[in-house]
Amino acid sequence: MTYETDEEKVEALKKWWKENGLSVVGGVVLGLGAIYGWRLWTGHQESVAAQASSAFEQLATNASAGSPQPDAIAKQLQLLESEFGSTPYPGLGALMAAKAMYQAGKTSEATAALQKAISDAPDPALARIAALRLARIQLAEGELDAAEKTVREHDISAAFAGEFAAVRGDIAAKRGDLSAARAAYEEAIEKGSALSQLLRLKIDNLPAAG
Amino acid sequence: MLQTIRDRAQGWIAWVIVILISIPFALWGIQSYLGVGGEPIAATVNGVELPARELDRRVQQARTELRQRLGAAYDPAEIDDKALRDEVLEDMIRETLLLDEVRRLGLRVSNQDVQIQILLDPAFQKDGRFDKETYERLLQYQGMSPAMYEAQLRQRLAAGQLARAISASALATSDELEQYQRLIGQQRELSYSTLALSDYQTDASVDDAEITAFYEANSDSFRSPEQVKLDYLLLDSTDLAAATEVTEEDLRNVYAAEQARFAQPERREVRHILLKVPEDAEQSDVDAVAEKIKGIRERILAGESFDALAKEVSEDPGSASKGGSLGMIESGIMVPAFDQVAFAAEPGKLSEPVRTQFGYHLIEVTKVVPAQIKPFEEVEDELRAGAAKQGADRLYYDLGERLANISYESSDSLEPAAEELGLSIQHSDWIGRDGGGDGILAQPKVIAAAFSDDVLGQGLNSDLIEPERDRLQAIVLRVAEHREASVKPLAEVRDEIVAQIKQQRAKEAAKTAAESLAEQLRQSKEWATVDPELEITSPGLVGRNAPEVPRGVLDVAFKLAAPSDGSISVGTATLDNGDAAVVRLSRVQDGEVKPSEDGRPATEVYILTQLMGRQLSDDMLQDMESRADIERMNMGGEDGL
Repeated sequence: MTYETDEEKVEALKKWWKENGLSVVGGVVLGLGAIYGWRLWTGHQESVAAQASSAFEQLATNASAGSPQPDAIAKQLQLLESEFGSTPYPGLGALMAAKAMYQAGKTSEATAALQKAISDAPDPALARIAALRLARIQLAEGELDAAEKTVREHDISAAFAGEFAAVRGDIAAKRGDLSAARAAYEEAIEKGSALSQLLRLKIDNLPAAG
Repeated sequence: MLQTIRDRAQGWIAWVIVILISIPFALWGIQSYLGVGGEPIAATVNGVELPARELDRRVQQARTELRQRLGAAYDPAEIDDKALRDEVLEDMIRETLLLDEVRRLGLRVSNQDVQIQILLDPAFQKDGRFDKETYERLLQYQGMSPAMYEAQLRQRLAAGQLARAISASALATSDELEQYQRLIGQQRELSYSTLALSDYQTDASVDDAEITAFYEANSDSFRSPEQVKLDYLLLDSTDLAAATEVTEEDLRNVYAAEQARFAQPERREVRHILLKVPEDAEQSDVDAVAEKIKGIRERILAGESFDALAKEVSEDPGSASKGGSLGMIESGIMVPAFDQVAFAAEPGKLSEPVRTQFGYHLIEVTKVVPAQIKPFEEVEDELRAGAAKQGADRLYYDLGERLANISYESSDSLEPAAEELGLSIQHSDWIGRDGGGDGILAQPKVIAAAFSDDVLGQGLNSDLIEPERDRLQAIVLRVAEHREASVKPLAEVRDEIVAQIKQQRAKEAAKTAAESLAEQLRQSKEWATVDPELEITSPGLVGRNAPEVPRGVLDVAFKLAAPSDGSISVGTATLDNGDAAVVRLSRVQDGEVKPSEDGRPATEVYILTQLMGRQLSDDMLQDMESRADIERMNMGGEDGL
């Protein structure tokens, strides 16, 4: 299109504005609204996460105390779950709570918390850590099949292979399968278990007919 | 004409031009987003880039820390740059990964917690309280704004929260604790008999074939290391000082110029008698003391001895016993009121009472030594040493610079430098990478230079090396002779081999004897029935670390299968000194199980949970690493250090 004079151009602009002005203004308002809304939303999320973090810290402090109060901790864990389910903190809180419960002699509450830590885990690594602890408690309670199942389901990462192998060794030793126990302990040491020195002692202490 | 431009500007040509011009504007700076030609990157972790510059900085920092930790033992040549760099890079990757994971998970620390952390950081405190100025200044040093620092701290705190959630929630099951206590505290009842190596040594000759075979099988242990002989020019300011001639005329000039240094002010020998006046004394008391001192003055003037009176009445504990004598003093040593009188009075004339802050004094000057200047002869040696040192230092820097230049310019010989500077080339003996030289040649920097690529590989002169910064000593060296690491010839090590073979044979014989003894013991169960002559050691029930039992015996005893009731287990051991031993295990007693002490969990719980907690944190990072998208750029290891 070509325009002969400036007047014509102004006319054309005016006409265009009449046709499209409303959409332009609407678009701008919508855009600004979206930006503002987004910031409001992220701000809200930030503050929820910060509150969840504080609530978790309280639970952690309680759980690390010399003699933890199981009831208070259960309540705090429940609060994390109901109020801050969208954050990673219920998963972490369940890990802490499980330790406190077990220390206080509440084994079934501890295993329940660990089950929850597995299902709520914000990261697969945390699920594996929880599973490892669950299997060990099951083992200590004599639930060998359950422990074995837990290990089988979660021993899927090379990083935790050493720890899981050590548990498998303990299960086998409890069942009296000495050669399997020996093999599992050896595997655990090779894959860098935390307690390799203790595992050596365990191997040495296995009855000779291995 | 303007109208034509206007008309044309409406056409399509104008649009083409406008579009062409706008392309560079639109794309300007885009390379920093695409990473093309931007800053070099050491690695990316889940899309987060780790700049190579940051890696360089951290490697440098790690090296500094290493140097501080090792102190004099620090040897740059010993540090594997590549390994250090890789290690630092892995640390950075793991750190970045953890921070990224924390962000992805949505871990978050409240403003309040960040604030508390900052307020409590001792680095930001002044006089035990948080100081905003210090805080801002410290951050500025690191090129950070408070907002940046707080964001970083927030991330770090969140990462700490994750690590803590894992390690603090570690638990030890009752089963594990029990087993641990049983095993760690386990005791075993044992007795053993040692067979001394010396009893199995024989004079049987060793034949040549055996020696050759041993030599070939163990050639590594007969290696002599790579060595060099060095030629070097040494510049030492101590030597230069000794050789520096200083004329008497020069010294006299210095003496004249620095007259003030040798001036000795007037000194006076002074004695006094003091009567003290307490600081808070009433006026009447002061007057009484004044009267009293006047009386003493009268007595001296009347002919009594100053000396005796000082001993009798002076209240200055330091001088009273010496008849009031203060010895030689210079002006300015005493309090002003005393000083004024002491340096104005005529010798031998007793002063009027003088009031000072201590009380009332009577002062007498007994001798005056007038101001004087130390004669040249007295200070000549001092001046000469100083001048020589100064000259030597100047000469050292001058020669050092020329030495560096000449030896660099004619880098294939030390002769030109030696001739030009009047130094003589010195020769070293064989020196290895682990030292062997003495004096300056033992310095790590010197050895590193001797084995450097330029000097050893290309046969050039080294740079000018000053191994100790505060000692004016410099060296330029080149390799005169080089000998590769080599295996010593058989003839040289023959005797050593014979001795080793004999030792080995004796060991084997002792072990065989021990084994047959063990077999007999298994049959007969009791030492006495095997051989009543045997010397038996019976420490009884011992723990894993019993100090009285040799390590080798303990290791075997705690590995033997636990015997069933009434039976025994037998094993053989080789001790550190080569002796063999037969070990008899009769009983295993597990450690005591104590789930708790005074209501608190047993110590072992903490040991176990700490070990497991730490390991799990590591495992978690490793697990995350295996799932992460990590790319390490292959860099030629730019090493501008």
